[in-house]
Amino acid sequence: MDLSLTIGGPQGGGIDTSSNMINRAFAEAGYNVFGVREYHSNIKGRHSYNHLRVKEVRPRSLKYPVDILVALDPDTIFEHLEDIGEGTKIIYDKSFETSDLAQARLIMRDTARRIKDTLDSASVPNTIKGALELARKKGGIPMAIPFSEVVTAAISEGPASRYFNTLGSAITLSIAGLEQKFAEEAIKQVFSSKPKAVEDNVKVVAAAYVYAKENGFAGKNLKVLPKIKRLLLTGNDGAAMGKLMGGLRFQTYYPITPASDESSIMEEHEHLKYVKAEQNKLREGGVVVVQTEDEISAVTMAQGAALTGSRSSTATSGPGFSLMAEGISFAGMDEVPIVITLYQRGGPSTGLPTRNGQSDLLFAMNTGHGEFPRMVISSGDVEECIYDSMNALNYAHRYQLPVIHLIDKNLANTTDLVPDIDLKKVKVNQAVRPTTTRLSFKRYNLDTENGISEMGYFGNDVFWMTGDEHDEIGHVTEDPLVRDMQMRKRFRKLETALNEIPREEMVLLLGEKNADVTFVTWGSQKGPILDVIDDLKEEGIKANLLYIKMFEPFPEDFVKQVLGKAKLIINVESNMLGQAARIVKLNTGIAIQNNILKYNGRHMTEDEILKAAKEIISGKGKNLIEVLENGA
Amino acid sequence: MAHNFKSDIAVDWCPGCGDFGILTSITQALSELNLDPKDVIATSGIGCSGKTPHYLNIAGVHTLHGRSIPFATGIKLSNPNLKVIVPGGDGDMLGIGAGHFVAEGRRNSGLTIMIFDNEVYGLTKGQAAPTMALGERTKSLARPNVFAKVNPITLALTAGYSFVARGFSFDMKQLKEIIKTAILHEGSSVIDILQPCPTYNNINTMEWYRQRVYKLDEDKSWDPIITPGNEGQAAEKFQRAYERGSEWGDRIPTGIFYDNRTIPSFHKRLNEFVPNYYSNPPATQVVIGSDGYTPIDVEATFPEKIIH
Repeated sequence: MDLSLTIGGPQGGGIDTSSNMINRAFAEAGYNVFGVREYHSNIKGRHSYNHLRVKEVRPRSLKYPVDILVALDPDTIFEHLEDIGEGTKIIYDKSFETSDLAQARLIMRDTARRIKDTLDSASVPNTIKGALELARKKGGIPMAIPFSEVVTAAISEGPASRYFNTLGSAITLSIAGLEQKFAEEAIKQVFSSKPKAVEDNVKVVAAAYVYAKENGFAGKNLKVLPKIKRLLLTGNDGAAMGKLMGGLRFQTYYPITPASDESSIMEEHEHLKYVKAEQNKLREGGVVVVQTEDEISAVTMAQGAALTGSRSSTATSGPGFSLMAEGISFAGMDEVPIVITLYQRGGPSTGLPTRNGQSDLLFAMNTGHGEFPRMVISSGDVEECIYDSMNALNYAHRYQLPVIHLIDKNLANTTDLVPDIDLKKVKVNQAVRPTTTRLSFKRYNLDTENGISEMGYFGNDVFWMTGDEHDEIGHVTEDPLVRDMQMRKRFRKLETALNEIPREEMVLLLGEKNADVTFVTWGSQKGPILDVIDDLKEEGIKANLLYIKMFEPFPEDFVKQVLGKAKLIINVESNMLGQAARIVKLNTGIAIQNNILKYNGRHMTEDEILKAAKEIISGKGKNLIEVLENGA
Repeated sequence: MAHNFKSDIAVDWCPGCGDFGILTSITQALSELNLDPKDVIATSGIGCSGKTPHYLNIAGVHTLHGRSIPFATGIKLSNPNLKVIVPGGDGDMLGIGAGHFVAEGRRNSGLTIMIFDNEVYGLTKGQAAPTMALGERTKSLARPNVFAKVNPITLALTAGYSFVARGFSFDMKQLKEIIKTAILHEGSSVIDILQPCPTYNNINTMEWYRQRVYKLDEDKSWDPIITPGNEGQAAEKFQRAYERGSEWGDRIPTGIFYDNRTIPSFHKRLNEFVPNYYSNPPATQVVIGSDGYTPIDVEATFPEKIIH
């Protein structure tokens, strides 16, 4: 099975609950679900949707057209006309049929104009009826369902619309052929703390299944797979968990999309539970999460905590990261171990506040004035978010510098079923604190080969710190010789890092060693490109992926070695400038000519990357740069 | 032997600078409180006042301009058992760092904030600071100040600080006692310290202040303290503090305006939620198991994420 679906409706209309239910129902039957959440910068009303894919094996990308489009409002049908193809089933409330485009006031005006053009050029009216007529022309199958009637037959009290999301999801599950018991089990999990909601929603599920069966919508029984325990996680979840596993005990943040979920998750889990083997050995402790007055405070407060020995971090997105620049420069100068998790969204400025982007890579490489060592790493899937967050804290403490961990919005809002979290995958490098007080401690001891001076701890040691250039105990100096020595000491840490860190944590060559096509990417395009590589293989084209995880220090030798002998290189990024390609060129001298880029803020899908790659491979590409445009 | 809280770094403030009196008051206060040097941290911002931590023989961070409060808060909340003093300039606290200054009043983390108030940005050659009055023209200004002044006392009160006081750098006896009380105060305290800049402020000189300052507790009935059980007095005492705090001109009050011991500190508030916060704070928590791996049971900590 390979089922793609989109469920859309008004923001605040229970879209997430629907997806959660669909995810859990399929998971109950042993299937794997992968999804991405798209939404406007809006609390209630504007169009929001989840794009999901269900497979027996773990999906790692999404694609269009979808097999099922669930519309919980008329806007969804208008917004997703492009996602409809041969055989797409469109589930919607029959009452939508009286709506027209002019009434859809919460569709962005430019989008509405575009939809109007689409409808006009198909010579259909600017109404839902017209849209459905167009959908039919494209091979879509509209399935009108009297939402209110079905719900009121099952539940008499309260507004029927409250259950439309459950109804739409249940109809979807029925069409997919999933047994009713799995849908009911999903309801129990989704509403676990509300027995009355479970009762009511289970009734709606039953009604939906009956309706689908009576009207011939129900799909033929889907085979049930052996069920294994899994964790339903987003990228935000993964980062929060990984940080706590990596020993984080102090987190600061200022609310910003799509970063703050990470901190909220920690606030919900302040009380950390230990594995049995450690329960009697370790004292219980918790994580302190502080919502600060701004991001300047977030990055400096996290540093204050780090000076006492806490493993600390902050999480933000582009606008907040811009405010952190001066603080990051201080962390570089004063060798403060902190992690800044940078959730990238579409910039510049406020940009596309709730949409995807990878346009902050060059900024992350250069944030802050002056020259100082930093590390810049990136994750490409939910599991990487977990282990990279642990590694980020390890790097910060080993090399005593700011570590910037890039996660794109697409990954932050990806939901994935993770089979297992390996507690023994990454060792946590917490140092033992000294037991005596060390006065005038040489925190910036120059007598070090690898550039790393022994860590000092406030509350234990007396030493000084200053943003000014400083001597070994941290007092201000403007002595030219000490300046040179401290500069060289700080930068030596990056050479040490490059020598010590396993290459696999920096860059990977995925797929066949020898290939006709070598993709280069970072972040959340990893999954779709791996699927594209499989697709190309079926067409007889051998491809592989140079997947970059660390940009500073940069694994120059390996990248040079792979790209130096690559036959056709295609760089894939969610930005306009090809920022990773620029870094590759800067470090290796290799200029990548072919680029697949996307900067409309939507996630890259398997089908569009495949199409663009084939254009490039066949030499038919109009340009060396293919710009992708999928997504509502 | 008693710890010498004065470091061996040569002080490079101008001769006659009010900062010397503040430095001496701080070291005396720390000595008299008999604090262990490893348990007190100083964080400062930028400018002449920013150099203070280097002159103290305790751990210190000379942070960024305006950011001493968040650094200090991070230290305090990561290890609530430490004392954190925050010497800073008027520009640091009430100009570039004003947002943090207000936020800290809401938090009440337990910082001792000292505003070195000389009405000018000394280290950059005497520009007008946020505490300089409208129309005032010190000798380095090209024209009279076109900004109105902010009042540190009333701003601190409205921001929610639970301890608000004013000292005068040339009255070290009083200042030292204020600093001692502030350090022992559980919540955050603000001490506005009148500190003449002999180089750039030719108006608000030592003499100018000497003629005007008076002590609040000269009035024997002055009682700014609110203790647990007497929360009902808070509104009236706040009102009185605000009125006296607004006084400026021929007479300038010094001493403790407000000392509310009933407002829970931020660490006390965190302690409601974070297990063993005081005895096992983030700063000293062991975060690894005996095998060097994470001790966290992910499934037990995040049970709602599991699909069985």
